[in-house]
Amino acid sequence: MFRLRNSALALLLAGYCLAQSSSQYVTPEIRRVGSKLACLCGACKNTVATCQMLECHYSLPARQTIAKLQKEGAADDKIIDGFVQREGKKALAEPPNEGFGIMAIAAPVLAVAAGLGLILWFLRRYRQPGVVPAMTDEEVRQYQDQIDKEFSKLD
Amino acid sequence: MENIGALSILLAFCLTIFAIAASLVGAWKKKPFLIVSAERAVICVWGLVTVASGLLIYALMTGDYRLAYVAAHSNKAMPMIYKFSAWWGGQEGSLLMWNFILATYALVVVLQNRRKHRAIMPYVTTTMMVTQAFFLMLIAFLVPPFQVLSTGGKAIVDVGDGQGLNPLLQYWTMVIHPPTLYLGYVGYIVPFAFALGSLITRQPGDSWIFTTRRWAIVTWLFQSTGILLGAGWAYSVLGWGGYWGWDPVENASFLPWLTSTAFLHSVTMQEKKGMMKVWNLVLVASTFFLCIFGTFLTRSGIVSSVHAFAQSPIGPYFVAFLTVTIAITILLILSRLDYLKSEAPLESVVSRESSFLFNNLILLASCFAILWGTLFPVISEAIAGEKISVDAPWFNRVNVPIGLALLFLTGVGPLLAWRRSTPDNLKRNFLWPTIGMVATIAGLMAFGISHFYALLSLGLCTFVTWTIVSEFWKGTMAIRQKDGLSFVPAVIELTHRNTRRYGGYIVHMGIVMMFIGFSGAAFNQDTTVEVKVGDKFPLGRYEIKVSDIKMGQNENYIWQNAIVEATVDGKPFATLTPERRIYEKSQQPVSMVAIKRQLNEDLYINFAGMGSESQRPTIQAYVFPLVSWIWAGYWVLLFGSLICLVPAKVKMQYARTEVVGVSTKHVPATK
Repeated sequence: MFRLRNSALALLLAGYCLAQSSSQYVTPEIRRVGSKLACLCGACKNTVATCQMLECHYSLPARQTIAKLQKEGAADDKIIDGFVQREGKKALAEPPNEGFGIMAIAAPVLAVAAGLGLILWFLRRYRQPGVVPAMTDEEVRQYQDQIDKEFSKLD
Repeated sequence: MENIGALSILLAFCLTIFAIAASLVGAWKKKPFLIVSAERAVICVWGLVTVASGLLIYALMTGDYRLAYVAAHSNKAMPMIYKFSAWWGGQEGSLLMWNFILATYALVVVLQNRRKHRAIMPYVTTTMMVTQAFFLMLIAFLVPPFQVLSTGGKAIVDVGDGQGLNPLLQYWTMVIHPPTLYLGYVGYIVPFAFALGSLITRQPGDSWIFTTRRWAIVTWLFQSTGILLGAGWAYSVLGWGGYWGWDPVENASFLPWLTSTAFLHSVTMQEKKGMMKVWNLVLVASTFFLCIFGTFLTRSGIVSSVHAFAQSPIGPYFVAFLTVTIAITILLILSRLDYLKSEAPLESVVSRESSFLFNNLILLASCFAILWGTLFPVISEAIAGEKISVDAPWFNRVNVPIGLALLFLTGVGPLLAWRRSTPDNLKRNFLWPTIGMVATIAGLMAFGISHFYALLSLGLCTFVTWTIVSEFWKGTMAIRQKDGLSFVPAVIELTHRNTRRYGGYIVHMGIVMMFIGFSGAAFNQDTTVEVKVGDKFPLGRYEIKVSDIKMGQNENYIWQNAIVEATVDGKPFATLTPERRIYEKSQQPVSMVAIKRQLNEDLYINFAGMGSESQRPTIQAYVFPLVSWIWAGYWVLLFGSLICLVPAKVKMQYARTEVVGVSTKHVPATK
């Protein structure tokens, strides 16, 4: 079909084959559990479900483990707990709602609340629904002349 | 050659120290010759850094493999363009480029202001040169780009050929993306330097804002372009179809963009009303510090990222630099609070002024949330003793509502009047955009779309579009009535009269288009299949067939591609050729995806490889609805930003207004 100048490179290319079954581990059931687990390969910020590197050294074995445990009838929570036991809380894609993990979501909420508080303070401090004095006819005429003059510059 | 390069950097470092000393002593003792001397030193620094940069580029282009940097980031087989881009492919070279861009900005500022702003220029020069000295110190003493390879520290070694640039970086957007992003990062120093200079010398009025307005817009534009090019690169090269992955390095580039966007909005309050002076200083300083922080994040190894440079010993120096400069800035602001007093009160909560406040709150909330999420694994490890991951789902959960709130305010802002909006005014302005939004949501629901955020996002896009179009419409009609122009010249005239306002609306339109693109992510479809050549598989409305596999090689890499035919309803739609490459030197496999781009959706095919036993091609196929709107939105944003840079036809001397009184009688319309 074609001839390669360097057959060693052809062998190299062949060497970069995917494990035959890697695409089998991208099923909806595996994704459901995998979406709650972080891919810890260090190269992406995806979940085990969304990591698209088929041969990823973390997400592929993780998907295989999920498939195996699902076949054995394990519930989703139990599978996830197993990952947390092995890897620690970093195995979870989102911080848990316990311990210091609560701070992950609490801090931005508190920051927004503090920002709103700051705006309220600003509004109270600087809001001055002005009581404006009534102008005399002479003053009104002067301002009207000024407006006419400025508008005429626009033409 | 390496000696001249290293010497240039060392001399430049010494000259920055001289420039700092001469500027400060000159300003303190009122000696103009010292100030001029410092400015000439800035020109010399630029010359020396340019010589060093030129020498490194020459070494990369000619393949001087005695240099460690060249051997690590270039090789003979690389095309010339990538040999050039290897300048910023590694830690040392990219820091040299940082220095080159900073020196160029400093040169332009000094030349532009030879006869202007003489009182603040010594402090502007000092601020820029302190930063320059810091970055030159890094490449002079810690990560030198001109280090030679040697055996046991004695003889210089020429390895003959290099490792080559990371294959993922051998892509056209990577030739433009880093310099563009750096132009943004580094450029924020100019508004910051003028703000500090103005603060130190207690300049009357807001001259620093008027002086640096264009700098701020240009820098923001570079930053936006850099971020979008990075997103485009990730979409086209990484093989998973994502344009944003909430990677720490991506986040680092986004943080200063958010604060500078807040600054570009709130600065209007200072221009028009003399309000928020402290806040604007905080924003401009935060933007600069976030740029330095982002540079630190990508180079210190503090967070793991596929985009980060190799770990190096420069992290603690960044921490020290940031600590000192932040402390000085805070002290300066606190000591000048009397000079930064607001000149006008806020008359109503329902006003344009308030919308700017909320806009700032939302932008800053997003900035804080992203910073918090990026650093949370490090913080949790330091405080709780256990690393807790914060990945894309968390960032999306927090930032999607924030983004939608921002989109809502983008539409609300122009509908509110300066000073105060009356109920009548609100009813008149909000009625039709709101009807448009509700009709869009109802229409989409009728078509079976039920994704909450997508519905809300697309509804808000209609709302904002309506407000922008009506702003143009009202202004155009007024000009047509007054000047008798036809429609298009009237639109041009309107835009030209107030380029910042109408250019800003066009930028908002670009953002709306991007949100349309982001909304499409709710409807992504994908499949991963291992198929025989000739077999078909379905995805969405497409039927996809791998019709052939081909192989070949060139000097740089060996490739294998799949010929993929897509049909719709049995009719040929597109033939795509996704490719896998293995680079000879690094032996790193890289996917070159094939994309059929359309306005409604992209068909995206990745050739993941061949099964080891079956020898069947594995294909990852995706349908990404509306993605093209993101890239189209960028062009609109670019157009709008360029319009903002055009001088307005009508000077806004009357921009700042105050209520002097109220007439007790009916006032007839002006002539």
